[in-house]
Amino acid sequence: MDPLLLALLIIIILVVVIFILIYVGYYNKIIRMENRIDNSWAQIDVQLRRRAELIPNLMETVKGYMKHEREVLENVTKARSALMSAKTPQENINADNMLTGALKSLFAVAENYPDLKANTNFLNLQDELTNTENKIAYSRQHFNDSVLSFNNTIETFPGLWFAKRMGKKTREMLQIPEAAREVPKVKF
Amino acid sequence: MEKKLLVEDHIRKNKRDTVVVCTLMALLFIGVVLAFGYIFFQGNIIISLIFALPIGLGYIAITYSVSVATVIKSMNARPANPNNREEKLLIHRVEEMSIAAGLPMPKVYVQDSEYINAFATGRNPNEAIICTTTGALHKLNQEELEGVIAHEMSHIKNYDIRIMTVTIAVVGAIALMSEILFYSLFWGGAGRGRRDNGAPILLIIAILLVVLSPIFARLTYFAISRRREYLADSNGAYLTRNPEGLAKALERIRDDSPKGKPKGSKTVAPLYISNPFKKVDANSLSSTHPPLNERIKRLRSM
Repeated sequence: MDPLLLALLIIIILVVVIFILIYVGYYNKIIRMENRIDNSWAQIDVQLRRRAELIPNLMETVKGYMKHEREVLENVTKARSALMSAKTPQENINADNMLTGALKSLFAVAENYPDLKANTNFLNLQDELTNTENKIAYSRQHFNDSVLSFNNTIETFPGLWFAKRMGKKTREMLQIPEAAREVPKVKF
Repeated sequence: MEKKLLVEDHIRKNKRDTVVVCTLMALLFIGVVLAFGYIFFQGNIIISLIFALPIGLGYIAITYSVSVATVIKSMNARPANPNNREEKLLIHRVEEMSIAAGLPMPKVYVQDSEYINAFATGRNPNEAIICTTTGALHKLNQEELEGVIAHEMSHIKNYDIRIMTVTIAVVGAIALMSEILFYSLFWGGAGRGRRDNGAPILLIIAILLVVLSPIFARLTYFAISRRREYLADSNGAYLTRNPEGLAKALERIRDDSPKGKPKGSKTVAPLYISNPFKKVDANSLSSTHPPLNERIKRLRSM
């Protein structure tokens, strides 16, 4: 066979192979990023549920000690009910913020009750709730990070081309107020 | 928004620097292989590659397969105890950071030592371990601990452990091949076939390469290590959105003066967040970690 023709053939085959590799690479990358978004969304839900479960326990422990702090305790209970009955995503977020605020007040007020603070049950619950609140905040952050990566990929070249063919659209990030995160100030 | 961009700029810069330094290392490796070929096989590159590559790759494979268990054992680390409040809180912080990073939860270990330190190990994110000293648990508050864990988590996410292991192996391979070359040159033989083949200048270059490359390889290894530390700092700050946490923790490490000797041998020092064997704020080319004050400065500028 004519060597020039052979060389041409090899070049064409190489180009095709490279093209296929790039295509597969980007396709997979976009799918993977989308899955990451969906996964982190599910994570948020898991943590929210966990927090809701911890509340009744907390209320039981605190009830005896904080008998005179009616308003603070009621706020927590009200917020939890609002959360249970929330239907739209916006209602959900509002109720969620309410609960975070109510819990913050409760723990702030608890500072005035040394007996309560010495109660190991209470300490445990406080640690668990802080943990859960942090996890909620970080899962939301991770969700937003995943959405950002995804949007960046499909809005820039060459991802843009792939996204159009795959019918992928940019996703929206969560709008959450900054106050949600709280790292426990534990002194030793 | 302004602050976030700065952290991302740091990340991008650190990644770029790593590529530069790793390329240098690769070129050094190739240079030594070619020198090997020139001196032993009269410049026949193909044969030299066939011969030299297995030595190099074999060395890499052996070092690479060293198990995580060996490291843990040499560090005297034990699994964190959830019944101990401090250690339970440590587990919580690791959980939170793995969610922020989108990684599976690493195993959490504790090393009994009054030094404030932490390290991460494991070939990939699925088999990772994060360990802190009891000193860190006693002396750092939760914000600072969170910063430290975020730094370690970033090492895992960036596959730094794997990168550093491969780099050490490449350094070792370069040193090994250089030694073989040196001894064979010294005891003659290879030189004799030279006289009628090619310019003597090439032989001189090859010899220089053989003698100097182990030194350069080691310096490059330290440079890579420092780059990865800066990257872990910036990535960690991005995870927590709070560079101040890690900055404060580094300050505490800097101002801490524990009694007794640090645990673990010097070879595993790069795994730590701060080299316990180098108390002085060293800015030398042979440091595995950048100077603490510089790291704190960069974090505070984010």
